[in-house]
Formats: sequence, C-alpha cells, structure tokens
Amino acid sequence: MARDFRSFVFRKTIYLAITIFLILSFNFVLFRVMPGDPARAVIPKGASPEIIEALREKWGLNESYLSQYITYLVNTLKGDLGDSFTVKVNSPVLSILGPALANTIVLVGTGTILAILAGIALGRLAAWKRGSAVDRVSSAFFLVFYCMPTFLFALILLSLFTKYIPDWPSRGAYGEDYRSLDLLGKLGDRAYHTILPLLALVVEEIAAFAIITRSALVDVMTEEYMVTAVAKGMRSRQILKGHAMPNAMLPVVTVIAMYVGWVVSGSIMIEVIFSYPGLGKLTWDAVWGEDYPVLQAVFMLETVAVLVANYFADMLLFRLDPRVKV
Amino acid sequence: MTENAVRSGITQRGGLLTESRKEKLSLFLKSVRQVASRYRKNAGGVLGLIILTFFLVMAVFAPYLAHFENPKSLSWADVNPLREPPSSEFWFGTDFYGRDIWSLTVWGARASLIVGLMASLISIVLGTTIGLLAGYFGKFADEVLMRFTDFFLVIPWLPLMIVFAMVMGRSFTNIIIVIGITSWSSTARIVRAQVLSVKEKMFIQRARAIGSGDVRIIRKHILPNVVPLIFANTILLIANSIFSESFLEFFNLGDPDVISWGTMLEESYSNGDFNSPAWWDFIAPGACIVLLIMAFYLIGDALDEVLNPKLRRR
Repeated sequence: MARDFRSFVFRKTIYLAITIFLILSFNFVLFRVMPGDPARAVIPKGASPEIIEALREKWGLNESYLSQYITYLVNTLKGDLGDSFTVKVNSPVLSILGPALANTIVLVGTGTILAILAGIALGRLAAWKRGSAVDRVSSAFFLVFYCMPTFLFALILLSLFTKYIPDWPSRGAYGEDYRSLDLLGKLGDRAYHTILPLLALVVEEIAAFAIITRSALVDVMTEEYMVTAVAKGMRSRQILKGHAMPNAMLPVVTVIAMYVGWVVSGSIMIEVIFSYPGLGKLTWDAVWGEDYPVLQAVFMLETVAVLVANYFADMLLFRLDPRVKV
Repeated sequence: MTENAVRSGITQRGGLLTESRKEKLSLFLKSVRQVASRYRKNAGGVLGLIILTFFLVMAVFAPYLAHFENPKSLSWADVNPLREPPSSEFWFGTDFYGRDIWSLTVWGARASLIVGLMASLISIVLGTTIGLLAGYFGKFADEVLMRFTDFFLVIPWLPLMIVFAMVMGRSFTNIIIVIGITSWSSTARIVRAQVLSVKEKMFIQRARAIGSGDVRIIRKHILPNVVPLIFANTILLIANSIFSESFLEFFNLGDPDVISWGTMLEESYSNGDFNSPAWWDFIAPGACIVLLIMAFYLIGDALDEVLNPKLRRR
C-alpha cells in the first residue's frame, strides 16, 4: 500500500511536471508565434526605425525562436516575468501579481470552502429525501442557479443591491478611507466589501456541488450493499454515514477538483463585474490594455493553480479509494 | 452455398433492401421506440424538449416572428420610444436605443443555437477522433494524446477562451472555433474509456481474425459502440457552448454586429439598465439564456438516465 502510494505520487508528479512544461511552452507559442505579434501591438505607431530596433533588441525579439524560448523558460523559472506594458507601466509583473493573487485567494478560497460544506450537506439532504417535496423544490432551485451564467447572477445581485440597499459597497475590495483605518477596521471593511462578490460566487458553487452530491448519492443508493445494509437492520442515519457517503464522495471529489477550473473562470466574471482587484480583474485589464507580459503571467498562474488542485485531488482520491489505479 | 444466399449476396452489393437489412432496420426502430417510451416517463426530459422546441421554432422562424425588420439598427431611436415598458405593441418593451426587445430576443435564439450546435460539432469531432486514436492504438499514442487531453481538461477554459478570442480577433466564426477547440477534452476521455473496453471484446478479435483492417474495425465495430455514450455528453456540451457564447458576447469578445442574448445583456449593462428601473431590458435575454441552457441540461440528464442502464434501476 505504502509503496503503491509512493509510486502513484511519483507518476502523478512527473505528469504534473510534464503538463506544467506543456503550459509554459503553450504560453510561449500563443503569445509569440500567433498573429498579432505583441511587439507590433506595443511599439507605438510612427516610432522611428531606431527605436523599434532598440525595443526589439531589448525584448530579445531579434534572436531565433529557440533561444527566445530558452530565455523565456529560464526567466520564468527564476520568477522573472518581465515588466508590465500598460496595467502598471514598467513595474515588474511579479509585484502586480502578488496582491491580486491574495485578493483572489480570499474570495475564491472562502467561497469554495463554504460552497463545498453547504453544497454537500444540501445535496445529501435532497438525495436522502429523494422524491419528496423538499427534494423537488431544492433540486429545481439548484438547477436554475446551476444553469444561470455566473455573470448574469452577479449582475442581478448588483442591480438588486444598488436598488434596495444603495449604501452597500458594490465595487472594489475596500473603501476609500481604507488606509486611515486600524487593523480591525481594515478587516471589517474588507469583509464588508467581499460579501457581495462572495455571495455571487458561493450560490452558483453550492448549486453545482449539491447537484453533483445528490446524483452521486442517488447512484450509490441503487447498489446492492445498500440493500444489504437495510436488511441488516441498520438505522438509516448510519447507512447514510457509513455506507452511502463514503462511496458517493469519490465522484464528488473528482468533480469538485475539475470544478476548480470553473471557479477560476467564474471568479473572473465576478471580479470584473464587482471591480474586485483580483486575478480575474487583472486578466481583464491586461486583455484590454494589450498587456501581454501580465496576461501571460496571469494565464500561467491560473492554469498551474488548477493543475495543482487536480494533483492534490488525485492524491486524496487514492487515499479514499484503494481501487484507483490511474 | 444455396441459391438464395448467392442472390442475397448479389443484391447486397447492389444496395437493395435485403432480409438482413430489413431485420437490422426493424431492430433499430424497435430500440428507438423503447428509448422513446422510457424517455417519455422522464418529466424533466419532456419539459426540456418542450422548451428546446420552443426556442428552435423561434430561431427558425425568426424573420416572421420578429415585429420589426432589422431590429439591431440604431435608427429605431428616431421612431420608437426609448426604454418603453412592455406593452401590447412592444411585448418585451424597448431598450435604450428604442429597439424592440421581443424582435431582438427572437433573433438572439438563432445566434445561441447556431453557436451551440456548431461549436459542439467541432468539439465532438475533435474529441471522438483523439479518443479513438488514443484508445485504439494505445501505448505511445495513448500516452501523448492523453497528456494533451489532460492539459485541455484542466486548463481553466475562460482565460484560455479570452486569450484565443483576443489573438484570433472578434468575429462570429471565431467564437464558434474558440469554443470548439477549448471544449473537446471531456469527450475524448469518455470515448477513450469506451474504446478501451470495447477493444478487448471477442467480436473485435474475430473481425481481426478474418482480416479486417484498423479503419474497418474502428468504423464498423468500435464507433457504433461509442456513439450512444457520447450522446448525453454532446447535449451538455451544447449547453456549455451556449453559456460560453453568452459570456464571450457579454464581455465584448464576440462580433458586435450579431444579435445575441449576450450582446443584449452587454448593451443593457453598459447603458446602466442594471441600475435603473428598466428591468425589462435584461430580463428577456437573461431568462432565455437560463431556460435554453436548462432545457439542454434536462435533456442530457434524461438521456443519460435512459441510455445508462445502471441508473435505470432507481
């Protein structure tokens, strides 16, 4: 078992490394070789040939693609992600990335943990009372929210709040007098500002996780060992806890890990709509400012985050289910 | 060899209806009828079909259902009242530019369905091809193709789409391509898993023993066993594509000249209707997106239940 686990981790780690390498390469190709050469987009029109030549020299665009590629890989691994073009002119990308990442982790992390807890609990309730009024009503609700694009829900929340509670902060991660507050005030101010985007994110996620949990549990309930458990005279609460949930958790963990990619995407929509200064907003500003170094870095960060989440989900899955031999 | 068999052999080559073909056809029809009758018992699936039919009619007959020709034109501002609440003349009211929202909504159904179907078609073709190749040829091809698939499976689709859409430029066709090439990976996984299990079956070995080539085995024996499985998945893909389309249009990455629900929401948002009492401006496109996605979701769920025998027991 222990040896199995070790070789499993080893293989998964190698896969992770390969995929990250693929992403880095993909990133390079996407931003350099595809039409719309970043250099052309950034160099001001009408610049003299000498300036263009100097800039091309500075960015290493005159070298061969291979040597550019190697430089890029080495720099990325060293943490040198270049300088921002337009979002924050000429400051290193890494310094822009840090605060944005922290904000997003607060939003997405809290949201996802809350949603996992609530979603699994609600899905369990619905599955256990399958076919009852509770199940029907809650399933209908989950379905509507699951099918509603995140940005639409965020917009509706925004419009309701600005209409009925006009004083509620609907933009940004903190208020204007943020700097003058003490630590406790700062925390409170942040929490106050995060509630609305958090709500938009959490409701969608709860709906998704509840649907997944419910269908996984309903699947499990048709298994023969459930009948056996009933025949043994176990109480239904015990059956749910001891037999149904552990088996239902396997697909739930897999799907939740895959869902992290969706959460990253959902947070982009929410951050843009609520002007929340996280990675999503940064992606957005970089897209419209044609800030390629920032866009490249954000894209890489988001992708690697999802990969790592899946990596840990695989570990967890292996622990939960000894049958997994992927 | 009897005379009868020889004749049937000849007619088969001639493409006429032989006994065996008749038999196959009637078996096929029978199973279709069975699936249909099981499907009818699924209330959600039926509801989904009704909603979908409604939108299909809307999309196909858009020019006849719309009250105004060329509803996207900005010149309506001189003719119609601006931001008029719903009335008997303007069923869903008018927007900031005085355009009839009902007409826009009807045309929007067309864009959503076209993108949904075309993008799913691209991703099904891509996903099935890659899944088939990986599963059938195994070994090195499998390893390489599956790393590639995993890469697309976990990569967050939205930033990827944003980057692609940006690099490729804003157009309606590009939206379809972008959605297609970012959403094939789940299909590839499903197809590969199914191919792996079918490949080991006896009838494949028999086919190989009588000298069938790879292409024939894939076409005649493996593909027919894979298709029912990707059916439900396809329906969900369509729902996702419609969602992605509305998103891309909403965030201004699509073609601004095409009437779509996403564009309608975007215009409503940038004109500040979400902060104004003009709720009718975004209710129609918003509700349509949710309903259409829900319809596909319900149908996919019902198909999954009907085609997947394990779930049938409940």
